[in-house]
Amino acid sequence: MNPVILTLIQTAVVLALSPFALGCVRLFKARLQGRRGASPFQPYFAFATLLRKEMVISEGVSWVFRLTPYVVLASSLFLALVLPLVVRGGALGSLGDIFVTAGALAVGAIFLVFGGLDTGSAFGGMGSSREMTIASLLEPTIILVFATLALATGSTGLDGIVSAGLSVGSAPFLALTIAALALVALAENARYPADNPATHLELTMVHEAMILEYSGPYLAMLEYASTIKLSAFVLLIANLVFPATLVGTASSPAAVILAVGATLLKLVLGMGALALLESMISKMRFYRMQEYLTGAFFLALSGLALALIQHAV
Amino acid sequence: MNPTYLIDGILLCVAGTVAAAVLPLFGGGRGLRRLTLSLLAVATGIGASVGIAAFIEGMPLGAAPAIFGFRIAFDALSASFFILLNAVACVVSLYSIAYVDGQADAYGVRRLDALTALFILGMQGVLLATTPFSFLLSWETMSMSSFFLVMADKKPESIRAGLFYLIMTHLGAGAILAGFMLLSGGAAFASFGQMALTAQSAPHAIVLLAFALTFFGFGSKAGLWPFHLWLPEAHPQAPSHISALMSGVMLKMALYGFLRLLLSVFPPIPSAWTLPVIALGLLSAVFGALYAIIERDFKRLLAYSSIENLGLMFTMLGAAAFARANALPALANAALAAVVLHAIAHAVFKSGLFMGAGAIVHELHTRDLESMGGLAKRMPKFSGAMLVLALGAVAMPPFSAFMSEWLFLQNVVEAIRLSAPFVQGVLIVILSGVAFVGGLAIFAMVKMFGIAFLALPRSERASQAEEPAAGLSWPVYAMAALTFLVGLLAPALLRAFGFMRETDGGRLLAGGGALAPSSVALLFAAIGTGVVLARKVFSDARRERSYHSWDCGQPMTEKMEYTATAFSAPMRFFFRLMLHARKNVTAIPIVATNPWIARRESRLEVRPLWMEALYAPVARAVLYASTQARRLHNGIIQFYIALILVALIATLAIAL
Repeated sequence: MNPVILTLIQTAVVLALSPFALGCVRLFKARLQGRRGASPFQPYFAFATLLRKEMVISEGVSWVFRLTPYVVLASSLFLALVLPLVVRGGALGSLGDIFVTAGALAVGAIFLVFGGLDTGSAFGGMGSSREMTIASLLEPTIILVFATLALATGSTGLDGIVSAGLSVGSAPFLALTIAALALVALAENARYPADNPATHLELTMVHEAMILEYSGPYLAMLEYASTIKLSAFVLLIANLVFPATLVGTASSPAAVILAVGATLLKLVLGMGALALLESMISKMRFYRMQEYLTGAFFLALSGLALALIQHAV
Repeated sequence: MNPTYLIDGILLCVAGTVAAAVLPLFGGGRGLRRLTLSLLAVATGIGASVGIAAFIEGMPLGAAPAIFGFRIAFDALSASFFILLNAVACVVSLYSIAYVDGQADAYGVRRLDALTALFILGMQGVLLATTPFSFLLSWETMSMSSFFLVMADKKPESIRAGLFYLIMTHLGAGAILAGFMLLSGGAAFASFGQMALTAQSAPHAIVLLAFALTFFGFGSKAGLWPFHLWLPEAHPQAPSHISALMSGVMLKMALYGFLRLLLSVFPPIPSAWTLPVIALGLLSAVFGALYAIIERDFKRLLAYSSIENLGLMFTMLGAAAFARANALPALANAALAAVVLHAIAHAVFKSGLFMGAGAIVHELHTRDLESMGGLAKRMPKFSGAMLVLALGAVAMPPFSAFMSEWLFLQNVVEAIRLSAPFVQGVLIVILSGVAFVGGLAIFAMVKMFGIAFLALPRSERASQAEEPAAGLSWPVYAMAALTFLVGLLAPALLRAFGFMRETDGGRLLAGGGALAPSSVALLFAAIGTGVVLARKVFSDARRERSYHSWDCGQPMTEKMEYTATAFSAPMRFFFRLMLHARKNVTAIPIVATNPWIARRESRLEVRPLWMEALYAPVARAVLYASTQARRLHNGIIQFYIALILVALIATLAIAL
């Protein structure tokens, strides 16, 4: 099938399913905690409502505050367009270089921080300071994880990495690397133990504190951006574990439909795992995050060492 | 084959710079000042064009007259640095017309302009020099003129910074001189080519000594840890256009000097010697970035960021030499290309940021980040340019610094695949070190932009700031545009410099990977357009109203905002073992009966660790030795004459 069509399918599927994925993780968490929970389709209604609402803009904010939702959403959209999430060998796959991807993630984080600072409220400043700390200290782990995968597969694009079809069985280092990537994903997406996505208590907020002053369509854009990012990370990790579920350019339309179904399954299972994890552990105190971040780094480093040993043998 | 107009162009460029250095002697009128600085801009503009023309015509220039050991010669390396120097100097001299006019009461304007031209002349000489004598003559011209420029406002702290700079730069120059003499066998007028021949037959220990001396000399000039202490003192103390030249260009001269020696003089150096270069490079980058994070002075933050970037460049340089010694030619070549590209990228964004800092300091009369804030609202266009420069400084795609780091890291990853275990270990340290520094640099620059330009104004002056005058702002716009353009044209530039093959097209290549900067930029632009369109389609943009931020029922003032100090607090905590920063809170009770109602003052102290551990003992030892030597001053003239005689005999004995 034409790579352009494949990329369009992938983008449409990820954009359409990501609010559902967010609804799933909320529902699963509610059930695990003994609540009934809202329907998994609730986020769609929430976004539709936000888009129709009037915006309240803080006095004294500059153009940076208004630019932020666009850049953050664009950064997430980059992931949906370029990474191998539903298909491999898409039209933009060659741009999914590991360093460009890390850069796109960083641009999103930088602008969120600007948006939080610009309102002049202490909440925004606090959230921004924390987010920047986490994002900047995650950088070496992201690079190391990606570099390990690039080394093992000989490809520096995530598309090529996933297409190489490594499996944990034949390449044991992958277990460590994927674990490190999972730690990165949790911190990047403001989930437990780095951040509490449901809190509105100042002392524990990171992501929520930065977007506190956003409302209406801007808030919808920022929230939508974070759901896309969460889905992209979950799908990327799932695809590294099960690379065979992706379809390439040589596949039939039926296989593509199957891959879309598999994507739905991966999202539901991934969100189930996330809900289970978040119900079992508690949020870390922010000033202990260095242990988490250092742990993630050394996990990635041991993955790299193991990959090199295997490569040498 | 040897177009003579190139040599004429270089002579014209140098002559124009000399004329600009002399003109201020004839008076300090406004018209003459404009003439001087315009002449300087034209001369450097010619210099940059000649550099570009040299690439188009192809090197070398052939035989040219030698004046004082300056044989005008270009190769790809010196020509690319010549373009860098003259292009930045051209923009800076145009900027200084408006900038110095506004600061005329603080500086002696005539001296300042003459010294600026002399400073640029010195740097041009460094690049044109082909012998130790001419190199060091230019080097000293550059160092001495910049020493006087640091002290231009004659404030006590400037004089202190200037003297510190003078001592460090002369220790470095002495080491470079010694290294040169060891390599050339004492011949001051030997060309670099002849030096290479002498060095090849020189004993191993002599070459090692020369390597160590020149590394110290150039490394201390480039602000490498632990010889970096002078840099954050001297650079911010100079007028802002001089800071731009010092950070953007002068540091590159140190890089150029070391590159020149490594490429054309030293025999192939063993792998073990390159490890200290890599180690000091990485340490400088890490400490530079960490100190930039906790710094609250706008220009000092930029100076620390220069230490970080020079650290990265020396890491790349060390990696190139390391790769060559370990038979990894692809990495060696790519790392050299990355060094040159990063030098250009850093020259552009750092001189832009320093000129921008100058415009802001001119407006607000302070360098303290805690007194800025809200500038993005007051000066939207200017802040936009500064945002682009800041994003360029943290190596975000598609800006220029990203391309150099991409090229370097991609090749490191590729080389790890191919090499032996020990080499792999070194490369992994480099990879994680550079990635770590990248993260820290993001923090520092985000803090700089966020605290200075966003949120509510933190001082009276900041709330009344306006867009800087056109003469101060357009050089910053030009640098912002260049940051983007250099990134876009990176493959073409590297091909012109001879680092890439003709067939690569518009892409950077590295092992298995390829990157076309233009497609990345296009993709980003397309996604951005898509988001804007989607917003138009799905919601009504007009429905909004203005209201104050959520304030918990207490009117919000600028005192409640996050400050630069507060913003970096988590980093200070996480890196407390490396930074030794201490916060002292003193509480003065206002109500005697209740200790909680008190005025609190918080003071942040950063212990100058390296000063205490390294510089203070040396200073004490020198002071002790001089006190002992003072005992000779006993006032008896016969004794002094006897000493002179002893000295004469000793000198003769050594010399003969």
